[in-house]
Amino acid sequence: MASHNIMIIDDEKIVGDMARLSLEQEGYEVETFLDGRSALDRLEEKTFKVVITDLKMKGVDGLEVLRTVKKLYPETVVIMITAFANLDVAIEALRDDVHDFFPKPVKLKELKISIQRAMEKN
Amino acid sequence: MPVGVAGGKAMARTSWAGVRSLSGFLRKALPGSAPAPKVLFGYFQSVLAGNNSSLEVITDMGEKLGGDYLFDVNYTRSAYDSLYEAISGSIENFSLLTDDHYPQLANSLTRIDNLVQRMLASRGPEGGPLVVPYGEITWDMAEAVGGKNGNLAEIGNALRLTIPESFAVTTVAFDVFMAHNCLVDRLAALTATEIDDQAVADLHAAVLAGEIPPELADDFARETAKIRDRLGPNVTLAMRSSADEEDGDFSFAGQFASMLNVPCNGVAIGKAYKEVLASLFHVDALAYQQHLGLSPGRLKMAVGGVTMIDARCSGVIYTVASSIEPDTILINAAWGLGVAVVDGKTDADLYTVAKGEEPKLIKSRIGAKETMVVNRGDDGIETVATSTEMQAQNCLSEAEVLDLAGQAIAMETYFKAPQDIEWAIDREGRCFILQARGLRIDDPGTDEEDNDAVLETASEPCHLPVLLENQGAVVQKGAVAGKIFVLKNADELELVPRGSILVAHHDSPHFVRVIPFLGAIITDVGAPTSHMASICREFNVPTVVNVGNATTLLAHGQEATLISGDDNQVTIYAGIAHELLKQQRQSALKVRELYEFRRQKYIMRYIAPLNMVNPLEEEFVPEKCKTVHDLIRFMHEKSVQELVASATRQGRGVMGVFGGGKGLRRLAVDLPMQVMTIDLGGGINGGGRGDVAFEAIGSTPLRALISGMKHPGVWHDVALGLQGKDLLSGMTRASDFTGNAGAAGVNLAVISKEYVNMSMRFGYHFNMLDSYCSDTPRNNHIYFRFVGGAASINSRSLRIKMMAKIMSANGFIIKTKGDLMVARISNLRSEEVQRILDQIGRLVAFTRQLDAILDSDAAAERLADAFLAGDYSISRPS
Repeated sequence: MASHNIMIIDDEKIVGDMARLSLEQEGYEVETFLDGRSALDRLEEKTFKVVITDLKMKGVDGLEVLRTVKKLYPETVVIMITAFANLDVAIEALRDDVHDFFPKPVKLKELKISIQRAMEKN
Repeated sequence: MPVGVAGGKAMARTSWAGVRSLSGFLRKALPGSAPAPKVLFGYFQSVLAGNNSSLEVITDMGEKLGGDYLFDVNYTRSAYDSLYEAISGSIENFSLLTDDHYPQLANSLTRIDNLVQRMLASRGPEGGPLVVPYGEITWDMAEAVGGKNGNLAEIGNALRLTIPESFAVTTVAFDVFMAHNCLVDRLAALTATEIDDQAVADLHAAVLAGEIPPELADDFARETAKIRDRLGPNVTLAMRSSADEEDGDFSFAGQFASMLNVPCNGVAIGKAYKEVLASLFHVDALAYQQHLGLSPGRLKMAVGGVTMIDARCSGVIYTVASSIEPDTILINAAWGLGVAVVDGKTDADLYTVAKGEEPKLIKSRIGAKETMVVNRGDDGIETVATSTEMQAQNCLSEAEVLDLAGQAIAMETYFKAPQDIEWAIDREGRCFILQARGLRIDDPGTDEEDNDAVLETASEPCHLPVLLENQGAVVQKGAVAGKIFVLKNADELELVPRGSILVAHHDSPHFVRVIPFLGAIITDVGAPTSHMASICREFNVPTVVNVGNATTLLAHGQEATLISGDDNQVTIYAGIAHELLKQQRQSALKVRELYEFRRQKYIMRYIAPLNMVNPLEEEFVPEKCKTVHDLIRFMHEKSVQELVASATRQGRGVMGVFGGGKGLRRLAVDLPMQVMTIDLGGGINGGGRGDVAFEAIGSTPLRALISGMKHPGVWHDVALGLQGKDLLSGMTRASDFTGNAGAAGVNLAVISKEYVNMSMRFGYHFNMLDSYCSDTPRNNHIYFRFVGGAASINSRSLRIKMMAKIMSANGFIIKTKGDLMVARISNLRSEEVQRILDQIGRLVAFTRQLDAILDSDAAAERLADAFLAGDYSISRPS
């Protein structure tokens, strides 16, 4: 069902694959993307409840994904993950209404709790 | 001056020659000058600090790559860089400490580094043998030989179960074959595109039409000739795929070709090899790889050549019947070759066995077995009708069923997961294991719509009595049930049954021998970053340390279930919590199947396992270090030895080094012995000169040792039965120590705030105690070497026997030979070190003149028991 849809965007395949397998076990429907552009294209076709995006990506980066989603799909919750944990970026993302911000490696259990809270929003 | 731990990012991977030449230069520039004790001690501390940093990184990597974290390749790279930096710092200081005595250590690090860098760059093995006999396959070759070869070889080499004569054709051979036939570019093109049916079909045909490279053809001819020499000219082989998967958890079952009954000669093997290789290029196989998150064309194929068994009967074992019957083993058996059973084409016999300490056959069902597959030599295999008599017969006797079940349990315990095993029994009744792989258990509760239900039951409490809750530190989480084995002393390790929950007072790297076979480990005392802890993580053995009172709370022989989870959540239930165990098995399984995940985790193979355990073995040399953990262990051991040797040298030449004894101060304690001290820093409070009162001892370990020696009643002044000159009375008595007499005969302690190295005179020998006692448990150790005495060799051996019993009861690992005993213990909290040193102090006093009354094994036992009970009175039995 649409309300349980999760999109994962990370230019490293292993991140999307691990998150997908782990979240599918929880009963979520998950789609993974390796870049921001194709993810935004997909958002035009389908509604996702949660978008989990990497920050640093070539082309459309995580902040751009966040801003676009917040502008066009305000109901969708964005969770940011990044290897380059950086306070300035975190503050910038929080200002843009990111739901959560995790430095990598991300504990899957914590990510799941965050998603659960996101799902419970509205 | 101590050298910094980490050389910094700038430290090049090739700087070893530089370090060595610097060390050499310094020695040439200062001929004849040995570093001062303080300098050596500084190096020693820096080695320990570097080792600790390394162990911390290893611990972190073990956790992050364990399946509970989302990580990317950047994490693995940066964590490994930190590790390299820390271990390089250790080696640098170690080199200075040992006067560059072990230059091979740096080469070992370079070798490990090359392997890790290759993994990080996602490159396969680039060199090495094309064909390897199974007996020569070691754990670090798993990548080159592929999962199926690696697993079966491990079953033969490590578990010592019988497997057929076999060889592996490595992934290096795959690369050589593809390059020789100019197929590398086409393989790369496959990687870059979506699966293109035509391109795949073309590649398949090109492999079949390819030529076996001459060097590979030579290897095939050589290996097949060796097998014919051993097993005769009519032997045939099964050629089967072994894709480059490390654990064999997902098997690619049925995805790739297997060629049966291939004649054992180079040409036939070459042809079959190409058939197996070509099956990699099939649309279905590539789609399956994609499903596992693997790009098409990434997978390299290793192949196994396994001699065919002339099977009387064969079949399959599932070590778990289903998710709700984890304690039941199913064995399928049919006449002839196992193909029919594996493919489910015959109604095979079915034997049901209950696990347990003594497996029991609980049900036999004779299948119809209407057909069987037989070996027709050069004509391949054939399916024939089974005679009526054979159809009605059991394929297996009860003894054979139970033997197979026993082997299956051993494999399940060793590989830590339910197994799907293929076996065969030949016409002479010999049983062979042909293959073992992880068993997938379909669970009725894992459909999507049932997920909520599963999650709900997961939080349901278990109604079994709780034996212990939320005590200690979780080293490796997991859920396991088994019988408790309370280890009283290290010698009992050999007796621990497979699958037990080992409960011990201390943790110890010596457990490594049994760790792969254990269900779980629980210790009273221990640290989550110890050597043992990283081995437990590596082998995925649920482990909880520092519980405090597990050895008293848990009863030997009791059945229990341990559930250890995040945030140090620990529960031990009395009995077997089936439901909880089932729920735990379901989680965290799928992520671990991911190809890239496994590749990243695979790096840990070169980092975490500990192969170098026993420093007394000949194999304890730098060349044998295969992992970073081995390097750490080697350096720790040799650093202690170096410090001991140095202190001994200083002791002997003490007058020269310390300028006529100026650095030496006498310990003024009320004991029938004298001790001289050399303080490296912080060992004596208040500075000054002259005798040192007990209260002024700043060295924590020396103070504890002397405390023990001061214990009331431990000294005996009677020299029972000794006649003539009482050589023994010189054991702990300082010789006259004058400025001119030299250091001979002195009891000498080289100390610092956290360290003591004490040479104690005993007869003609020095006995040596070396201990480090700080707030960091894993830095701490006690090393006690005891030799000599003046009475008869028999009495001396009996004394060693008595001391060994007492030391063992205190958790020491003991080696004795004649009248020599070496006892070691490490990784203890400061208070525990002090407690043990106090015991050793008492023991040294207690043993002073024992020889005379130690006239039998019984006396040695009696005195040891008396000592352990706190009874220090020495008397002959009435």
